[in-house]
Amino acid sequence: MMIDRQLFREFDWLLLGLVLLLSLTGAFFIYSSSHFLPGNYCLRQIIWIGISLIALFLVAAVDYKFLVAFSIYFYGLIVALLAVSLLLVRLIAGTKSWIRLGIMQFQPSELAKIVTILVLARLFAEYKGRFLSLRAAGLALLLAGIPLVLVIVQPDLGTALTMSIVVAAAFIMAGLKRKTIILFLALALVIGVGGWNFGLKDYQKKRLTTLVNPGRDVRGSGYQIMQSKIAIGSGGLAGKGFMKGSQSQLRFLPARHTDFIFSVIGEEFGFLGVTAVLLVYGLMLARMFWSVTKARDRAGAYIVFMASMLIAGQALINILMIIGLFPVTGVPLPFLSYGGSSLLSNYVACGLILNVRMRRFANV
Amino acid sequence: MPGDKIYEDLSVVVRRAQNVFRVIAVLACLVLSYYWKVQVLDHKKYWDLAEANRTRTRILSAPRGIIRDREGEILADNQASFKVSLIRDNVKNAAVSYPAISRLLGISEEELRSRIERYKKLPSFEPVIIKDGLAPEEIAPIEGRRLEFPELEVEAEPKRYYPLKTTAAHVLGYLQERSPEELRDNPGRGPRIGDMGGRSGIEKQYDEELTGRDGAVIEIVDSLGRKRSEQATEEPSQGQDLRLTIDARLQAKAEELLGDREGAIIVLEPATGDVLTLASSPKFDPNKFITRFTPEEWISFINDPASPLENRAVRGLYSPGSIFKPVMALVGLDLGFVTPQTTVYCSGSLMIYGTSRACWFAPGHGSMNLADAIKNSCNIYFYSLGRQLGIDTIAAGAEKMGLGRKTGLDIPGEKEGLVPSSEWKMKALKTPWFPGETISVAIGQGQLQVTPVQIAALTAMIATRGVRVVPHLVLEPAALRPEAPAPAAPPFKPETFESVIEGMWRSVNAGGTGQGAFVEGLDACGKTGSTQVVSRERAEMLARAGKPIKTHSWFTGFAPRYNPRVVVTVLIEFGGGGGAIAGPVAGEIFKLWKDIQKK
Repeated sequence: MMIDRQLFREFDWLLLGLVLLLSLTGAFFIYSSSHFLPGNYCLRQIIWIGISLIALFLVAAVDYKFLVAFSIYFYGLIVALLAVSLLLVRLIAGTKSWIRLGIMQFQPSELAKIVTILVLARLFAEYKGRFLSLRAAGLALLLAGIPLVLVIVQPDLGTALTMSIVVAAAFIMAGLKRKTIILFLALALVIGVGGWNFGLKDYQKKRLTTLVNPGRDVRGSGYQIMQSKIAIGSGGLAGKGFMKGSQSQLRFLPARHTDFIFSVIGEEFGFLGVTAVLLVYGLMLARMFWSVTKARDRAGAYIVFMASMLIAGQALINILMIIGLFPVTGVPLPFLSYGGSSLLSNYVACGLILNVRMRRFANV
Repeated sequence: MPGDKIYEDLSVVVRRAQNVFRVIAVLACLVLSYYWKVQVLDHKKYWDLAEANRTRTRILSAPRGIIRDREGEILADNQASFKVSLIRDNVKNAAVSYPAISRLLGISEEELRSRIERYKKLPSFEPVIIKDGLAPEEIAPIEGRRLEFPELEVEAEPKRYYPLKTTAAHVLGYLQERSPEELRDNPGRGPRIGDMGGRSGIEKQYDEELTGRDGAVIEIVDSLGRKRSEQATEEPSQGQDLRLTIDARLQAKAEELLGDREGAIIVLEPATGDVLTLASSPKFDPNKFITRFTPEEWISFINDPASPLENRAVRGLYSPGSIFKPVMALVGLDLGFVTPQTTVYCSGSLMIYGTSRACWFAPGHGSMNLADAIKNSCNIYFYSLGRQLGIDTIAAGAEKMGLGRKTGLDIPGEKEGLVPSSEWKMKALKTPWFPGETISVAIGQGQLQVTPVQIAALTAMIATRGVRVVPHLVLEPAALRPEAPAPAAPPFKPETFESVIEGMWRSVNAGGTGQGAFVEGLDACGKTGSTQVVSRERAEMLARAGKPIKTHSWFTGFAPRYNPRVVVTVLIEFGGGGGAIAGPVAGEIFKLWKDIQKK
């Protein structure tokens, strides 16, 4: 594929630099929190960063209008994949959503997020009004709902939550009439009550109740929140130093290198470390959201916004979760947490943003 | 530049995106401020929690002080032992784990549950000891299954050990687990669950000194409770060692001489108050009680009518009988009622207050002076002296010689005995004193009650011609010894003592009642006593029925006559005549004492 010089010039190198900076910071703390474990997680993460970087360039290289155009096929494919993975029951870490690819495992639900972004962008690009009609909103809900339900029944509450944020972002951008909002809220209430009573597994309910009262379940999910808070709080202003956090090094902290990586940062580098990482994160997100203004068309704007919200939503949930302000739902911190699938899908999302931004000028 | 028409108007959607970003930015700032609160404002709280997480304090039990006899022979030692504790906080499912633990440790489930029940009021993170006294080889199978039983904890502890077993058991006392109440009253660095405390004897008297200071190791542990390293160690410090005045050889000999008979033997140095022997029979083996669990032996000891746990030497109350006669003599001489030359004629009986009182020697001793009256233990002489003195004079004299109050021996539970007087009788029984009762007291009967250790102390005072010492069991450290009384004037003049001692010398050396205690070349002095332990009516009834009336058998004496070095007091319950039974026992003790001195 020929790479246009103009495309190269319009490529947002700063954004990519910030993403890489965060990824390497993540690898650094993955080393600190897993060096005592067999499996060399740090090296595997670096390899995944490489793979994800290639994916990012590949995604950025193809004009997003083709991606949007083909999104309905991707959509069909991912729905099928989710259904198959549901049937191929492989119980790993309480979820059934892993598909084995060689040595590395891959979660199709991660890709479902990307496909949802593309398919919703395609749909909403058609509606150019100030507000979305009820019919269009219903259609969008149906379209996004199918993979979402498949992810929920996996059950992968974390991914489902992130997908919901993406869908909600699309609706926010499209604009909903008050009537539609009320209808949606009523629907959400019905599903919520029904889901609590019939759908949610006991451990999921426990996680939600634990949020309200962490002391109630000291040995279960309350334990995770408690240990994470202890790690963060004991870090203080400047932290205990690299590889010196007792909570992470002595394994009191759960899921240290994955979902709770930010607790390790909080423990070993303190409030200053937390602030520094969040500053870089904020800069990256600002850069991402700012790309919305550069979109040449409606589909592009939707893609950038939803992709940015995918990253921002996960990040927000994660940093709220590890300090006990949000239930333990298994949402990783994008670019920092260990995990190939998550890294790949976030890089692809970033690739989409870069894609839209570098093609800001219409190819007339 | 591209024309406007090429591009859609995206201003509405862009503005919405920007607003969302602003909301996220504000949210992020709020989250960051919460991190500030947790990390900076509440830092101390979480720091402490992290420290509590990563460290575990393991107590290192301090051994108790070693107790030795005066020659350095170890009487109470410590042995390495292991105990298994249960941490109630770590029990996941009692219905499953209690039966498994009971099988693992070989204890019944009821016993296990009752142990746990006993400590239910104490914090549940505190380990409860469920088995103790285990040898290292018994521990291996338990340690091997450690991961299966996270609620169990195995710890080494020093265990009390009495190498001489029953020897000096009453002196040493025994240990038992401290009660939960004791633990609650001592929060903080005090005794912990399962700590043993002295329950009698020296172990109780000097419990505070003997108890060491527990040490602690602060260990760094991981989330599975595995030890990673040690942060700090405070070594336990052993309790204070004690050296007793007891001579284990004499003590063992005394216990052997008592054998199965109930009784007590006391040997002490009159000049210093050092107690060389304090034997009580029947005896027990304190090693049997050093467990936190109620052994069957304990129950049987508690229920034994012979009360083997009772220290008869300090707690047994007996009529002194004839060994009270020297006190009578001292009072009579001192107040001038008699002189050493005064004689009384003994015809075998005497009419006093309308009652015929018999001497123990029915044919009568004939004309007796004071020394011979003591030598032959003539009742008639002392009946007549008692009638002259009156009860209150006798009581005052007896109290001067230390009767009716504790000797101050450093062992818990000493009894005071009783010296009756008219005032006492009015107060206690609300009836006036009858002169006839004085006659009984005059020969050491009636309501007069003494402990063997009082008699030993009294004998020491006679031997030293009136120097009062407090008998004591601790030789070193000297600071622990009971305070010596302020040097008081002797209760009686030294010459007064000489006449009494002359009688006691004759008793042993010139064919008197105490001749059984004679030891060649020792120049011992002594006095025997045989006390009626049944009422006169009952005694007569037994006599008519042809049954033997066994009396308590006493001997108390000292040697040598001048510069006395040793006092021996022997009491054998229902032994028979003092001269026939207690005297020879005392002789054996004198002999061994003399042999020990030669070495």
